[in-house]
Amino acid sequence: MNAADFREGFVEADGFRIRYREAGSGAPLVTLHGAGGMRISRSHDLLAEQHRVIVFEAPGFGESAVNERSASMKELALTMAEAATNVGLDRFSLMGNSFGGKLALWLAVQRPELLEALVLVAPAAIRPEGAQPVAPHERLGLMYAHPERQPAMLPPTPEVLAKQEALVQRLMGPPREEELEALMPGLNLPVLVLIGTRDRVIPAEMGRTYKEKLPNCQFMLVYDAAHALDADRPEAFAALVGDFLARHEAFVVKTESGLLYP
Amino acid sequence: MKAALFSPVPYQGPAPRGVWPVDTQGYSAEIAERSMQLSLEQFQLADEMGFDWVTVAEHHYAPMSLTPNPMIMAGALSQRVRRAKIALLGPDIPILNPVRVAEEFAMLDTLTGGRLVAGMLRGTSNEYVTYGLNPAESRERFEEALELILKAWSEPQPFGWVGRYYEFRAISIWPKPVQQPHPPIYVSASSPESGELAARNHLSVGFAFTTVPFAKNAVQHYREQAQKYGWTPEPDDVLYRLSIHVADSDEQAIDDMVSAGQAEARTAFSTSNRAVDDTAANLGYYGRDTATQRARHAAHDLTERLELGQLVAGSPEGVLSQIRGVREELGAGILELIFQPVGRDKVLHSLDLFGEKVLPGMREL
Repeated sequence: MNAADFREGFVEADGFRIRYREAGSGAPLVTLHGAGGMRISRSHDLLAEQHRVIVFEAPGFGESAVNERSASMKELALTMAEAATNVGLDRFSLMGNSFGGKLALWLAVQRPELLEALVLVAPAAIRPEGAQPVAPHERLGLMYAHPERQPAMLPPTPEVLAKQEALVQRLMGPPREEELEALMPGLNLPVLVLIGTRDRVIPAEMGRTYKEKLPNCQFMLVYDAAHALDADRPEAFAALVGDFLARHEAFVVKTESGLLYP
Repeated sequence: MKAALFSPVPYQGPAPRGVWPVDTQGYSAEIAERSMQLSLEQFQLADEMGFDWVTVAEHHYAPMSLTPNPMIMAGALSQRVRRAKIALLGPDIPILNPVRVAEEFAMLDTLTGGRLVAGMLRGTSNEYVTYGLNPAESRERFEEALELILKAWSEPQPFGWVGRYYEFRAISIWPKPVQQPHPPIYVSASSPESGELAARNHLSVGFAFTTVPFAKNAVQHYREQAQKYGWTPEPDDVLYRLSIHVADSDEQAIDDMVSAGQAEARTAFSTSNRAVDDTAANLGYYGRDTATQRARHAAHDLTERLELGQLVAGSPEGVLSQIRGVREELGAGILELIFQPVGRDKVLHSLDLFGEKVLPGMREL
């Protein structure tokens, strides 16, 4: 399985025409991208070996029309929930990176009945107080601890970047959002939060707040990974997320044998 | 200048030398028990005499050291050493479970009311045979384990770790260290790579199994690197370990050592198994400066050891003057001393002379 095997599709939701890419079969895993737009990394390929992976592009990102209609992350989250339903999913696991992590959390607290489990990857729902928003030209430098491991990718055009940036700035909200955080203690879903130890956008310490507020949360540090940790450490990332999706909080118990020789 | 008493807790009986691992054919439990008691007494005496630190270390499979787990020795010392800091230089981090290391260090810091010095070393090449680890992965393991230990000490919420060499799904250690943000950490800086790691992570450094000329180059590299990362090491950030014997006169000191058989060149622990050390070196254990790193371990006789600053020996005045020389060459704020095994009475006399006549002078340096 590799990125080329992700086939493209479109689905209508809330009056938006939403692009998605899909690969694999098995239990469905829906993913929501970060502020930089849809990005399929090697970890998506690896996860698609066991799962039906559906990577959505939020309206207003990539080649889609300017999105001036979604009023908030809360509202956009409901649009994405409808998109998943319209693809034909009754229940699914949901994973969101950074901006998409906040979006995924908003989706989860509003429509928990749709979800099996939630994976938040360097989520932007809780950010350091007083942190300056990352300028688009800085973003790439902060994404990877290991840019040398990344496949060559065509960056989005300046027009696409400007459009995405305006949308992110409009929707992102404050570093701490009371309404969202007040809903977290009531979220009865298995949640996995992953942050890279070299993440300078969402520092690893942010993870502990999810652990404090969510009743069923696993917090994992991914060593030597920056903000795009799924791309920096794809094998480790996919193995961990795959195990969590299969076993939820029971994944803390090791089940592989340690036997060397019979 | 501060003084630390180091003992590897040697086995005080006849045993093979210059090989590794060492067989236990002639091993005596009674001698081992006595050896440990002697070391405990020595550490206690050092504490009473005003030494700033007492230090233990990890070595395996040889009579030169009966502390394969120095944490246990430090636990015993926590009940005897009332004032001095208890230093571990160190556990061999890459061959151990880092969560366990974090837990044991935190226990010791709590048991001593915050008197732990947490050394973290890679150990010698042969230590990698002990628990079956590839010496080529030593540095990467070290770096990852260090970061994990710091996190285990500081993170208030349970967390998991997805590393390259270590994976844990849930970590939340009890107790936590007393000293905040964490106990002082000393690492080796003999190789350029380790000096850079220390500088990058704002860690203190210790030099052992080396010479003053080698350490001088290495400490200069460490200081330059620290400047690059925007900080300046203090004298206490640099420790130098050497052997010592103090007697009533310079001549007496040399006589004591010669008659105790301490004058000849001796194979270093790290090179006691040539095949192991050569293999580790070929795998890259010593890093980009292999020739220098291996030259550090060359065997030297008494005269050379004195010249190279591996040993200070003489009258109290003579010893103090040699120590002043080391201090000036290295800028080290902590001198770690191994009292030479020249017989019980002479060792005790050496310790007495040091405490009465050398230590007060060292304080002025």
